[in-house]
Amino acid sequence: MKNIYTLLKLEFKNKFGDFSYKSGKSWTKLIATLFFFALILLIVYFGATTVFHMFDKAGMAYEALVILFTVLFAYLIISGTSSTVKVLYYKGDNEILMRFPVTGAQIFVSKTLFLIINQFISSLVITLPFMFAYSNVVDVSAAFVKMVPVVIVYLVLIPFFLSNILAIPMMHLTNRIRNKFIILIIGMSLIMSVVFAVYMLIFDKIITFLRDSSFSVFSEEVVAMIKNVVQYFFPSKFFADILLEQNLLLSYGVLSGLMLLFMGGMIAVIAALYQKTLLKNIEIEGSAFKRKTRMKVRSLNATILRKEFVQVFRSINYGFQYFVMACSMPVMVYFCNKIATSIGRNDIGDQISLGLTLLVMLIFMTIITSFASTSVSREGRNFYQTKVLPVSIHRQMGIKFLMYMIVSFLANLVCVGMLVFLKQMDYLTGLWVFGIVQSSAAALTLYGMRMDINKPQFNLSGEGEVVSNSANTTGAVALGFFISLLEGMAAMVLAYIATPQFMIIVCSVIALLFFAISLFVYFFKMEKAYNKIAK
Amino acid sequence: MLEISHLYKKYLNSERFAVEDLNLSLKGGEIFGFLGKNGAGKSTTIKCLTGIYPYSSGSIKICGHDIGKDPINAKLNMGYVPDDHSVYEKMTGGEYVNYIADLYKVARKDREERLQKFLVQFRLTKAIDLQIKSYSHGMKQKICIIGALIHNPKLWVLDEPMMGLDPQSMVEILKRMHEHCEAGNTIFFSSHNLDLVAKICDRVAIINDGKLYDVIDLHVKGNKETLENTFLKITTSEEDMQ
Repeated sequence: MKNIYTLLKLEFKNKFGDFSYKSGKSWTKLIATLFFFALILLIVYFGATTVFHMFDKAGMAYEALVILFTVLFAYLIISGTSSTVKVLYYKGDNEILMRFPVTGAQIFVSKTLFLIINQFISSLVITLPFMFAYSNVVDVSAAFVKMVPVVIVYLVLIPFFLSNILAIPMMHLTNRIRNKFIILIIGMSLIMSVVFAVYMLIFDKIITFLRDSSFSVFSEEVVAMIKNVVQYFFPSKFFADILLEQNLLLSYGVLSGLMLLFMGGMIAVIAALYQKTLLKNIEIEGSAFKRKTRMKVRSLNATILRKEFVQVFRSINYGFQYFVMACSMPVMVYFCNKIATSIGRNDIGDQISLGLTLLVMLIFMTIITSFASTSVSREGRNFYQTKVLPVSIHRQMGIKFLMYMIVSFLANLVCVGMLVFLKQMDYLTGLWVFGIVQSSAAALTLYGMRMDINKPQFNLSGEGEVVSNSANTTGAVALGFFISLLEGMAAMVLAYIATPQFMIIVCSVIALLFFAISLFVYFFKMEKAYNKIAK
Repeated sequence: MLEISHLYKKYLNSERFAVEDLNLSLKGGEIFGFLGKNGAGKSTTIKCLTGIYPYSSGSIKICGHDIGKDPINAKLNMGYVPDDHSVYEKMTGGEYVNYIADLYKVARKDREERLQKFLVQFRLTKAIDLQIKSYSHGMKQKICIIGALIHNPKLWVLDEPMMGLDPQSMVEILKRMHEHCEAGNTIFFSSHNLDLVAKICDRVAIINDGKLYDVIDLHVKGNKETLENTFLKITTSEEDMQ
C-alpha cells in the first residue's frame, strides 16, 4: 500500500513538478492559469445557457441534455483511451519504475488511480458549468442537483473501464497507420474541417438566436428529426434520465450493468495482456518504416528543401501543426468570413466586409506562419549539423523560408480563390487581399524565424520534437494578431469614414512597411546571432 | 592538413577561457589523438574546428582554408562524427547518406560505390532502408560514420567515437580509421581510452584546463609505454591527489 502511495505521489510530481511553494513565479503562473480557467468556465457557462435556451425554445430541453452526455461520453472514451495508452503502456518511466523494488501490479494500480483521479476531476470541471446552465434554463427538481455526483461517477467509470479494453487494439492500429502520412494528413484535415464547420454552423445558429430569441432557430422537420434520433442515443440518454428522475430502474440497471461488464473486460484484458504488451516495446513496433532508397543526385537547394519537408511531413505532431492547419484554412476562412461579414453588414454596413475578410484571413495565416518560430528549435539534437555542413546559414534558412512560403502561398491562393468563386469578393479585390496576406505572411515568417534564431529552445528528450508552445511561438502569434487587427481595423474604419481607394492605399502601405521592417529585423546581424547558438 | 594557431575560446558569461592559446599542426596520413580529462577543453576545441562554436581569437585552417573566413571550402574537406550520434531519425539510413552526399556534391557513381563498401564493412546492408529511429545506438554511430566518410574527406574528426559501442563495431571503426589514414588522409579524434590511443595514434596531444600541455610522438621509443603516466602527471591536480 505504501509503495502504491509513493508511486502515485511520483505520478503527481511528474505532472505538477514545476510548481514550487517558495517561488513567486510558480504562484503567479498558478493564479494566472486559474484565472484563465475560470474565465473559460464562465464562457462555457454562458454559451451552454444560450444553447439550452435555443433547445428549450424548440421544446427539446431533454434532447439537449442527451446530446450533451453523448458528446461528453464520446470525449471521455477518446481522451481516456489516449491517456491510458500514454500512462500505462508507453515505456517512458515504466522502464525506470521496473528497476525499483515494486511489483508490476503496484505500478499498474498507482497509474490506474492516477488516471481515475484525473478523469474524475476533468469530468467534474467539464460537466458542472453545463449542469448549472441547464438548471438555470429548465425548471428542474431539487433531485437534479443531488443526482449530479451519481451521474459523474458513472460518467467517469464506464468510459474509463472501456478505455482500458480499447487501449491495446488502439495502440496496434495507431502503429499500423502511423507511417501513412498522406492518409493521416488528409484524414486529419477532413476531420478538422468537419469539426470546424459543425462548430461554425452551431455558432451561426447561436448568433441568429441571440439576435432574435423570440422564435426558434430549428424548423419543425429538424425538431422531429432530432427527437427521433436522440431516443436511440444509448447509453447517454440514461445519464439524462437519472438526472431528471425518469426511467430510474432501467437507467440504473443499464448503467450499472455496463459498468460491471466493462470492469470485467478490463480485468481480463489487463491480466492477459498488460505485461506482454509492455515487454513487446510497443513504441517502436511498427512505428518505423522501410523504404528502398535510390542514390539520386539533387541540387543543394532541392536536397535541403526535401529534408525540411520530410522532417515536418513525417511527424504527426508537426504535420498537424502545419500542413493540417494549412489544408483546413480555406474551410475555416470561408465560415468565419461568412458569419463575420453577415454580422458586420447587418450591424454596421457593407463597407466593413473587406476589412473583416482581411482580418479573418490574416488571423488564420498567423496561426500557420507561427510554425516558423520553431525553425531552429526543431533541429533539436541535429542542430550541430546545420553548422558543420558546407552550406551557408543564409542558404539553409532561406530554404526553410521557401518551404513556409510555398505552404502559405498555396493556402492563401486556395482561400482567395474560394472566396472569389463563392462571390464573397470580386476578382480584383481578391488579388489585392492575396497580396496583402502573402506579404504579411512573409513578414511574420521572417519575424518568427529571427525570434527563434535569437533564442531557440531545443527539446533534447524523446524524439526531440518541439511539443509545447515556446515563448517564440507566443510572440509570433501575438505579433500576427496585432498586425491582423491593425490591417483589419484600418480597412474597416477607413472604408467607413473615407473612400475604398484611400483604404487600399493605407493598408498596402502598412503591409509594405511591415515587410520592409521584417526584412531588416531578419537580416540584422543574423549570421552572428546564429553562430552564437550553442546547443 | 589542420593548422590551429593561438586558438582562444571563452563561453558567454564565463570568466575563464575554455581553450587558451592552443596551437596544433596535423600532417597528412597521421592519426592524431586528443586526450584530456572531462572538461579539459577537448570537445570545445573540436566544436570550434568543425564550425559549431565561434571562437574568440586565433585561426583554424583545414587544407589551407580558414574555417572562419572560408567556412564552405574548409567544411568540404572535413567529415565529422559527433559524440552523441545524432542524425535525422525520420529519414531512412539511405536517405540520410544521400542527403549528406548531395550537400558534399559527391558524384552518383562515387556515392553508390562508397555506400556499398561501407554497408558491407559495417554490416548495415539490411538496415539501410529502415528509418533511423529504429536503429540501435551502435547502428546510429555507424550511419554517422558513413555520412562523415561518404565524401572521402581529407580530415576526419571524431569526438569520443568508441563510446557505448560493442567490440565488433569498435574493430570496424579502427579498421576504417587505418584505411582512411593509409590513403593519405588525416584523423583527429578525442578519447578517454589511453590504451586505444596508444595503440593506433601516431601522435597525441594532451590538453588540461584549456591549455595544450604536450604533443607526444608515439613512434619515439618508450613514449607508448609511458603515455598513461605522462597523462596522469599532467592532468592530476593537487586537489585530485588529496
